[in-house]
Amino acid sequence: MNHFDSQNLLIFGGVLFAIGLIGFLTRRSMILMFLSLETMLSGVSLNLIVFSKIHQNYQGQVLAIMVLTIAACEAAIALAFVVSLYRRKPTLDVLAWDELSETIMPKMPDALSDMSEPHEQYPTLTPAGLDPLSHPMPPSLDAAMNQQNSTTPANATEVVQRA
Amino acid sequence: MESLTLAWPLAQQAFDPSNLPLVTGSPIDGHFSNAMLLVIVVGAVAYWCLQRGVVRSKPLAIAGASLFGLACVMAFSAIPKPTTFPAENSFSDYLEPVVKMCFCLLAAGGGLGFIVAREPVHAALGFATCVLSTCGILFMQHAYFIAAATMIVYAGATIIIFLFVLMFAQQTKLRIYDVELTRPAVAAFIATALLITITYSVSDEGEILPTKMDLTRSRSLAAISNDPESVLPPAMQPGMSPSESAKFVPSKTSGLGRAMYTDYLLAIELAGTVLLVATIGAIALAQKPEEGVS
Repeated sequence: MNHFDSQNLLIFGGVLFAIGLIGFLTRRSMILMFLSLETMLSGVSLNLIVFSKIHQNYQGQVLAIMVLTIAACEAAIALAFVVSLYRRKPTLDVLAWDELSETIMPKMPDALSDMSEPHEQYPTLTPAGLDPLSHPMPPSLDAAMNQQNSTTPANATEVVQRA
Repeated sequence: MESLTLAWPLAQQAFDPSNLPLVTGSPIDGHFSNAMLLVIVVGAVAYWCLQRGVVRSKPLAIAGASLFGLACVMAFSAIPKPTTFPAENSFSDYLEPVVKMCFCLLAAGGGLGFIVAREPVHAALGFATCVLSTCGILFMQHAYFIAAATMIVYAGATIIIFLFVLMFAQQTKLRIYDVELTRPAVAAFIATALLITITYSVSDEGEILPTKMDLTRSRSLAAISNDPESVLPPAMQPGMSPSESAKFVPSKTSGLGRAMYTDYLLAIELAGTVLLVATIGAIALAQKPEEGVS
């Protein structure tokens, strides 16, 4: 058994998986994303078959047949999904369906950095009247207010009695 | 500090460029992953250049393609060649790794075309190339049934149906979602990290012993083949000599069938059930909604 040969093929299975990963992460067309998934699965099944050769029994091959079955199921379901999504919005763009994610999230990952530290926003009131610091009360008005304050208790008792 | 002085010669040895088989041309022994590391990084750069150059500038695309070629040549020179030929079958022994290599290159090129091409039909054709070449590799690994099944399922059914949907949905002009890729540099970085990890873990030296099959169940493959009246070769036992165990390369489709319907009968039944459920689900999902149902 050629050990290096199996090693090369294991790495090649990894290469196929990486190609599928890049395709899945970068592509925006739904169909090409599913094809990338199939590429990843074929890399995995290649690895399983090489393992079967290394271990010299059929376990890996049976598992590869399972992977093949699941890949076929996945292709059928994915196709049905694409067709029914296409009926609602005639586009294959995945970004057309990004309201299925959290709608408060920003569209592009760039804006995530703005989300990480939320700025606290307090409600602001419209300023009314004069600023007491920049417009101090004239002394005459001050005296009038003091006089009114001194008469307040009597008024207050009247109000209470009336009530 | 002491550990640093201990570790430094090891690190030096690990990263010494003269240890790279690419540079010395010596047979690979334990330094395989160093050469592959370089190949992976060059491949990632080639992908980045190609995906940008395909839409932006032609020279960049040419540079990316030549970088990919360079990565392929480096990988080819890093892979050990057979040094001694056995007297018989020497030509086929020499030819087999070359053909396997060609399949690998074709599959990698098809995969690269698949993730780079902006025209969806071209991308699907790249995928078909990739999968068909992978089937060739599986065929050379003596997995005949799986090679045929993969060819039928992927290259036959999947590609045809996906091409059908592409034609069904495709307008004449290229769409923005076909042209624009989301963050190819980040994706290439993630894939590079993954591949480097895989390469290092795979390059670990060590013997992998053949695994004995389960003898306890009366209907299992191993038990059947250990029956003295059986026409099958006896099941492999641990402790066999390499020449003896070389006879047990799992290459027979009949053996795979026996394993499937004896040792893995329940799993096969489950797979059939999953296929049935998926068929029903696909029909239910793809039905046209009734009027007034949103």
